[in-house]
Amino acid sequence: MATMTRRWGMVIDLDKCTGCGACNIACSQENNLPIFKDDSDVPKRVTFLDLIEVTNDKDPKAQYPDVKVAYIPKMCQQCSGNDPKHPQPPCVSVCPVVATDVGDDGVVSQIWSRCIGCRYCQVACPYEARVFHWWKPRYEGSFKESLNPDVSIASRGTMVKCTFCSHIWKLERDKAIAQGITDINAVTYTPACVSACPTNAIIFGDLNDPSSPVYEPKVQKDPRAVRLVHSIDELRTKDPSEYERRTKIKEYPNPKVYYLTSQQWLRDKISGFKNS
Amino acid sequence: MKLERKDFLTMIGGAVVGTGVGTLISPGPWMGLQWLVEWTQDQYRPPKGEEKYLASICDQCPNKCTVQVRMIGDRAVKIETSNQGCAVGQLLLQVLYHPERVKTPLKRTGKKGKIDFEPVSWESAIADISKKINDAINNKKQDQIVAINPAFPDATAMLTERIALFAGSPHVYQESGYWALSNACSVATQKAEGAIDYDFENADCVVSFGARLFEGWGNPGRMHKVLNIWKQKGVKFIQVDSIATRTASLADQWVAIKPGSEPIFAMGVAHYLLKYGRRSGAANFGRFTELLINKFTPEKVSELTGASLETIESVAKALLQARRPVAVAGKGGKVVSSSVAEFAIIQTINSMIGSLGNSVRLVAFTTPAKPAIAKKTKGLDEYIASDMACDIVLINNANPVYSSVYGERLSEKLKKASTVVLFTSLLNDTAQYADYIFPTLTSLELPYTGQSVSAKFEAKHAGDSLLAIAKNTPTIAAQFPWNSYLDVVNAASFQVRNVANLDIPVDSITTKLEELEKLLQSSGSYSISMVPFEIPVVGEGNALALPYVLKALPNTILKGNTSWVYMNPVTASKEGISEGSKIDIESSRGELDTVRVHLTKRVAYDTVAMPIGFGHEELTEYGSEKGVNPKPIMSDALDPISGYADWWLTRVKLS
Repeated sequence: MATMTRRWGMVIDLDKCTGCGACNIACSQENNLPIFKDDSDVPKRVTFLDLIEVTNDKDPKAQYPDVKVAYIPKMCQQCSGNDPKHPQPPCVSVCPVVATDVGDDGVVSQIWSRCIGCRYCQVACPYEARVFHWWKPRYEGSFKESLNPDVSIASRGTMVKCTFCSHIWKLERDKAIAQGITDINAVTYTPACVSACPTNAIIFGDLNDPSSPVYEPKVQKDPRAVRLVHSIDELRTKDPSEYERRTKIKEYPNPKVYYLTSQQWLRDKISGFKNS
Repeated sequence: MKLERKDFLTMIGGAVVGTGVGTLISPGPWMGLQWLVEWTQDQYRPPKGEEKYLASICDQCPNKCTVQVRMIGDRAVKIETSNQGCAVGQLLLQVLYHPERVKTPLKRTGKKGKIDFEPVSWESAIADISKKINDAINNKKQDQIVAINPAFPDATAMLTERIALFAGSPHVYQESGYWALSNACSVATQKAEGAIDYDFENADCVVSFGARLFEGWGNPGRMHKVLNIWKQKGVKFIQVDSIATRTASLADQWVAIKPGSEPIFAMGVAHYLLKYGRRSGAANFGRFTELLINKFTPEKVSELTGASLETIESVAKALLQARRPVAVAGKGGKVVSSSVAEFAIIQTINSMIGSLGNSVRLVAFTTPAKPAIAKKTKGLDEYIASDMACDIVLINNANPVYSSVYGERLSEKLKKASTVVLFTSLLNDTAQYADYIFPTLTSLELPYTGQSVSAKFEAKHAGDSLLAIAKNTPTIAAQFPWNSYLDVVNAASFQVRNVANLDIPVDSITTKLEELEKLLQSSGSYSISMVPFEIPVVGEGNALALPYVLKALPNTILKGNTSWVYMNPVTASKEGISEGSKIDIESSRGELDTVRVHLTKRVAYDTVAMPIGFGHEELTEYGSEKGVNPKPIMSDALDPISGYADWWLTRVKLS
């Protein structure tokens, strides 16, 4: 039995995203997300993957028609924290009951049934990637037929979030073991949003694997790459000592989701450098 | 043995402590607590079962994407689309397991205008409808039989068409959309049946005149593949539009124009093509060039559209410099509104750049021989607007009371009809006026690939119900030799043809452009232009019945039950409107329920961008009464060639 060397991550090419919504719906279906009549109300809805529509129209310099619109599929960024060997993402370090933790594959887990609903993690998460079940999840009548038995139904009063569909990895692992494959690193999988994306905008894989399209050192060199901690990433070359200092801060999230964009306005928007 | 009091107490104490510690370190209390939580919350556990995959097809559009359905026992729990298709494929489970699905044929029990039905047997419903059709034929009232099909044709459309035509009725229509409008253009200008189809896969320059190609337009599954091809090949893509849509932002160049002025902009491009020596062998091309030279000079086009001379010229040059250029017509996303004149102008451009009959072709839905009956009206809207009465109406998987700008008038017509039959899997706005509702099967339940998911209730596909109705009608039964709907599917096919001839309808173009010019320059009380836009996942609106769609809506479209419209901050400040203001929108046709305003520079000046697909009176618990449907106040000007209203641009006032 080999030690797990995989470190799952995602690269999302925003230049290819049309905002069709397939990822969002595939995620809702795969993860048994509750069905409420007023799910059009953003603050109330329970989603793991938000399809955020963004524009540069708040930029004072932007005037019609120099305005653009894009979509950002935003899920849990699966933060590594400042020490990848002992990862402590902002949400994990505050959980009093270890309902959320980082697995040896880097995925930030969330165990609904262990959660006591204190919501500390929701406050700690810099990406608003966590959702609280204020109401009991409901599945009207025959909608229950389509529920996935591999994802448990959360109780009212618990916190839920994207886990990179790690239950699919577990299924694949069990299948591999049944076939006599005991090398844990031989098990690969595809999260629901990734296989649903019709333009291949979302790519998933092992950030440590040089043959993977998401091999981290390669992605980091891509001039289109930007993470939701872009303001710190920018310092890597510009000001290495300041970069070093900031990445040592305990709350440094260090996400494993990379976005690709050729649009400067979108880079600025993601990085928060400009108030646009 | 004598037991001292102290020892007794020690033993009791030890037992208590031991039991306490033992209980605490055992899983008992925790499991008990978990059980209590589950019991008090009535927590549901999805049943487990054997996993297998079924091969199936998403038949929601002509692209017919293949999908793999993950089954747990007899339950379908996941759709694997393997990086193809669109969001519709992912929604197939919500369609399949919707709790409000129509499960048996229903017959009206109360007055029309409400959902008031009782279940009725298949046999009696089919026998009653067949008898009424037979009686209409025998009593020479066959021209009161009407068939209304969905915007994209499929094999069920062929059945309703055959029932009407073989009964002797010319009234076969489809909902307004790209297929109906471009087909009307092909018939009028190329003397051939077929919707206009573009060879996007091999094009090297694409200019889209308002067609929001990556927001539900055409076959979304195909268009998603096309986007990747364009990115790989570096295909030049120019989008002409009045709103910064996602398609406009994906384009290499977005040409921003005044709302609804796309056909005039196309005239400007044609003018430059002419200037650079491009000619067409099309009939009436001489008169068309006179129109270009005399009435649509670049200066005038620039004034009317708001685009600069350089921009118009650059678009023409991009087309000229390309090897396989394509000019795309059909404003909109999943819902398209335009006129035959507009299609014809853009087809003339395709003719001038050598693409007509080459990378611009026709795709026809070819069906077995049928009688040719002279049409009395050309399109559905013209029929609804006419005084012609209907008595038997077969509405096939469509919602024309909602989708047509003449919806209210249609509902009045349907109220007077004796037999309105709606084939649908979910009750919609049109169901309020139906006498019979027939359930239909969803994609996953069809044995296209020999594998299907069970509906878990007795249901038939609309095609099988229609076939049964036709076979039960003695006067037309012989024309339906098929045993099942799948036989019908195999009898029809899509065929692509290259047709290069073109007869330019110059008079219609002149009239249309003059009307548009007046509309664009009109001042007075209706000083604001209203143009539609779509949320791709909502499309024409039927998807709002599926609750997971609500989770994918942006937060600036719908809050609670209130629709939000988009407006440029410059216009808003002129009108005294701020972010979140409640406004009433009024056109010459009437006033809408109050909407709220979201200010964004994505929209042209003096314009309201109106989301469509919302505001259903009836569309299950999830889609009903959410937002507003602007169709009742949108322009109802009929296009004389297609017979459909061109509702893209409506002049409105705000209060």
